Amino acid sequence: MKYLSEKIMKKITWLTSICTVLIFNQLIGQQNVLIEAESFIDKGGWVVDQQFVEQMGSSYIMAHGMGVPVSNASTQITFNNKGNYHVWARTKNWVPGNWDAPGQFKILINGKPLKHNLGLTPEWGWEYAGKVKIKSSHVDIQLADLTGFNGRCDAIYFSKSKTPPTNSKSELATWRKTKLGEATSPETQKTYDLVITGGGLAGCAAAIASAEQGLKVALIHDRPVLGGNASEEIRVHTLGIYGKYERILKMIDTKHYPNGSSEAKYDQEKRDRNVKSFKNIDLFLNWRAYDAVSENNTIQYVDARHTSTGERIRFTAPRFVDSTGDGWIGFWAGAEFSYGRESADTYGEAWEEWGELWSPEEADNFVMGSSVLWQNEKTEDVHEFPQLPWAIDVAKEHKAIAGEWYWEFTRNDLHQIHDAEDIRDHMLRAIFGSFANAKKLEENKNYKLQWVSYLVGKRESRRLIGDHVYTFNDVKNHTKFEDAVVEEIREVDVHYQKHLKDEAIPDFLSKAIYYQTEKYYVPYRSLYSKNINNLFMAGRNFSCSHIGLGGPRVMLTTGQMGAAVGLAAVICKKYDINPRAVYTKHLQEYLDLIEKQK
Amino acid sequence: MAMGFQEQKKPDYRPMFFSMADEWKDIESDESIFEFSVKSSDTSLTTEIEHQVRLLSNSLGEPRLFFSEIETSVCADGECKLANIKVYWNLLGNYVGYGTYDKYPLTKFEHDPFEKADYQKLHKLLLDDNSVLKRRKMSDLIDKIPVSLSNINSKDLDGISGATKKEIKESVVKGGLYSCYTIWHLVHGDAKKKIRKNLETIGADDLKEYFLYSLYKDYQIYGLKQLSQADFRVHSKQIVSIFKSTNALTRTYILKKLPTDLYSEKEITNQLYTMFPGVDLNSKTLLINKLEFAAPDAIEILAGFLDNMTKNQLKHYLKYLEENTLRITNTMKRNLRKVSKDKNYAHSYLIDAFLKTNK
Ligand SMILES: Cc1cc2nc3c(=O)[nH]c(=O)nc-3n(C[C@H](O)[C@H](O)[C@H](O)COP(=O)(O)OP(=O)(O)OC[C@H]3O[C@@H](n4cnc5c(N)ncnc54)[C@H](O)[C@@H]3O)c2cc1C
Repeated sequence: MKYLSEKIMKKITWLTSICTVLIFNQLIGQQNVLIEAESFIDKGGWVVDQQFVEQMGSSYIMAHGMGVPVSNASTQITFNNKGNYHVWARTKNWVPGNWDAPGQFKILINGKPLKHNLGLTPEWGWEYAGKVKIKSSHVDIQLADLTGFNGRCDAIYFSKSKTPPTNSKSELATWRKTKLGEATSPETQKTYDLVITGGGLAGCAAAIASAEQGLKVALIHDRPVLGGNASEEIRVHTLGIYGKYERILKMIDTKHYPNGSSEAKYDQEKRDRNVKSFKNIDLFLNWRAYDAVSENNTIQYVDARHTSTGERIRFTAPRFVDSTGDGWIGFWAGAEFSYGRESADTYGEAWEEWGELWSPEEADNFVMGSSVLWQNEKTEDVHEFPQLPWAIDVAKEHKAIAGEWYWEFTRNDLHQIHDAEDIRDHMLRAIFGSFANAKKLEENKNYKLQWVSYLVGKRESRRLIGDHVYTFNDVKNHTKFEDAVVEEIREVDVHYQKHLKDEAIPDFLSKAIYYQTEKYYVPYRSLYSKNINNLFMAGRNFSCSHIGLGGPRVMLTTGQMGAAVGLAAVICKKYDINPRAVYTKHLQEYLDLIEKQK
Repeated sequence: MAMGFQEQKKPDYRPMFFSMADEWKDIESDESIFEFSVKSSDTSLTTEIEHQVRLLSNSLGEPRLFFSEIETSVCADGECKLANIKVYWNLLGNYVGYGTYDKYPLTKFEHDPFEKADYQKLHKLLLDDNSVLKRRKMSDLIDKIPVSLSNINSKDLDGISGATKKEIKESVVKGGLYSCYTIWHLVHGDAKKKIRKNLETIGADDLKEYFLYSLYKDYQIYGLKQLSQADFRVHSKQIVSIFKSTNALTRTYILKKLPTDLYSEKEITNQLYTMFPGVDLNSKTLLINKLEFAAPDAIEILAGFLDNMTKNQLKHYLKYLEENTLRITNTMKRNLRKVSKDKNYAHSYLIDAFLKTNK
């Protein structure tokens, strides 16, 4: 008991110091308080969602209870001014329509609920929660989930005035900064030999390969665990071959468990343990990069923010790796990039048998879609699952008790980055609706949802452009580039939505077209930016066409890319050169270094 | 192999399943045009078996179908049986139907004959040109899929993913995996490629219009793909009619390819845009994105279909209105106001906001 209360005391002291930051404005005497929901000390059953910061402005927390309300999130803060406050939450109704909003919650102040339910208005914005009288300086705030279906809260705002905070996207960022008393640039700066953003297989391999050779590296990753799509949070197994990097890739790969299987956790432990064992790797888990600034086509720094505490760090380095999947670092730094499907003529990638499904006569933005994997559990007991009008709207008649890779969504009015939240939400509706349909059958009465990811597993978005754009022809011709650093034998597969051929099939199911092939190679020139001098890229955002991505996007191949750029960075450091010069001046030495990795 | 059938005076063209109309009924000429070879699945033999593919033409001498009478061995675990079928491909090499011989019913692994539903299932399988069997080797299936394909639940998983197993199980005839596998690969293998290659030699040019004006989706898109820009005008009526009845794939192709001068013609614009509520979402996106190329009526027609738009489509449309405020008519305003209050439409709030800022 005593021990426990000491622990709590400690927590409270620590807590107060954090809150000092959060309510900095309060200390300078303003009459309002902004609290970022993701910084709540105890998140209860709510999860931190950092995936859509660029679109809606912040990390947020979400009540992802798969239909069962999650336990309250709570935090305690200090108010300097007592009195009456109006309270708003920044939230959204994630499925607007003629039904009860699915994700509703309430705010509790010192245990008492505020008047209004929240999560009712379409689009991210401030909703009025009610009025409260603050009588003492220590205030306990809780978020109480009412539905278990993905209610979400970005921030809570207390104000003595009844004017709601701004909803304008451009003003909001500045407003937030002012309220939180943030300086224009991060408080802390750190310097490395190599800064890698994105800890999927590509980023992890880049970190290991360069750290082993003595480079001091930072690996910035926006989730608590490494691996990206291969992590236990998304659960895709790694496919492809190891190429020259077997030893390195075996530290981070997965077994061939079925996509969505809980076995992913074993490889998760292995991967995290291995990456953490390198003293040369500074691992920044739960840090999301939000900017990269270049001068004279050279990146000066990458800025990142902690996804819960909001702290910021500026990372400087002579060279950077973009392994975010979405090409964020390149995008911010002004690297050339492509998005969409090239016309079949652009690189001569037509495949007559498959016509428009493979490569269109006219370019379009119909890239491969994103997925949300999910899994059931069969138990001894009977489990109810509600009928959900807001989900049936997407699932229609479809029945399913588990997902697979082909639960995939893309549509030509949706962008895989800008509309990622809508895409994820569409998949959640597909899942809950299909499961609800399946549960109507007697045979499924003992099934319950065991796991539904809330992270959207992406396949294709921005592809940064390098000195070489990798295409289908490089696969077909098995071009053995002089700078081949990645090799693969896996078939090329490119997906299309089944719905395109048969509108009776729901819009969230895809099909793959496979092209069988002998070994093909990716050149080093596809792994650094054409116009940003000190930027490498590895992973699905490497330099390729839409069809070019079809083969090498799997994770052992993207892992090979990571290892390849990690080693190129070593040569760069040795001669103080940019990535391109490794190809033009030190290719043999680089290839020899790769050869030694086995 | 199979030659015996060819010597018969009057071949029996009656298919058991046929996914086209009745092309097989009016056959006047039957000429053998190439052979394709298939490796015997009987591992004790190393032979390649040749099969004849014949071109069937109608009484007007117009090519209509490709046809082959096939006798093949279906082997599993070293035991082989013969399977006899007649296969029909359309002129593009796509499978359209098959028939059997009364004397030689298809059989399953345990030698039981196929039942009616099994034949039906086989037809359905053969119609799927991207079947799950496509990339699999027979040996994969023999090793990993129990012959009887007993119930598979999500915990019972091995090398082949559960999803694939389930898909295989759902698509093949129970107990008839090997027959299904062998026949699918016969139908979708070499023969298909050769038919495609032969298309030129049978006068594809003369057939252009036949393809474009046919009722079959694969013919239609093939026909469309052969059109020059000028042809689009000549056949605009048919193209609009295809647009109405086809799938998203072909519709989006048409919208991308219609030459601008044609697209902007009042009549074409009217026809395309009045179909807005009935077409798939991807075509809707293109119709909205291409507003600037359409005749002026389009913008007003769409104002009547606001509640058929996705969020992004509506945003795009409203943005277009914002840039063309002079073109907003009173009828459009009425529609906008009405839908802005429609509780059944999830995105009515966007119209409401639009009306507030664009009074
Ligand atoms: C459902 C599905 C099934 C698939 N099936 C297979 C399969 O069976 N086998 C296979 O090998 N591949 C498969 N793929 C493809 C493969 O998973 C992807 O192509 C692959 O993840 C690419 O690896 P990556 O390292 O480039 O990116 P990711 O795995 O996406 O990793 C990038 C990581 O960077 C992080 N990040 C992004 N932005 C930032 C930022 N600003 N700051 C910090 N961190 C950031 C993200 O959290 C992300 O996890 C599948 C994909 C999907 C979606």
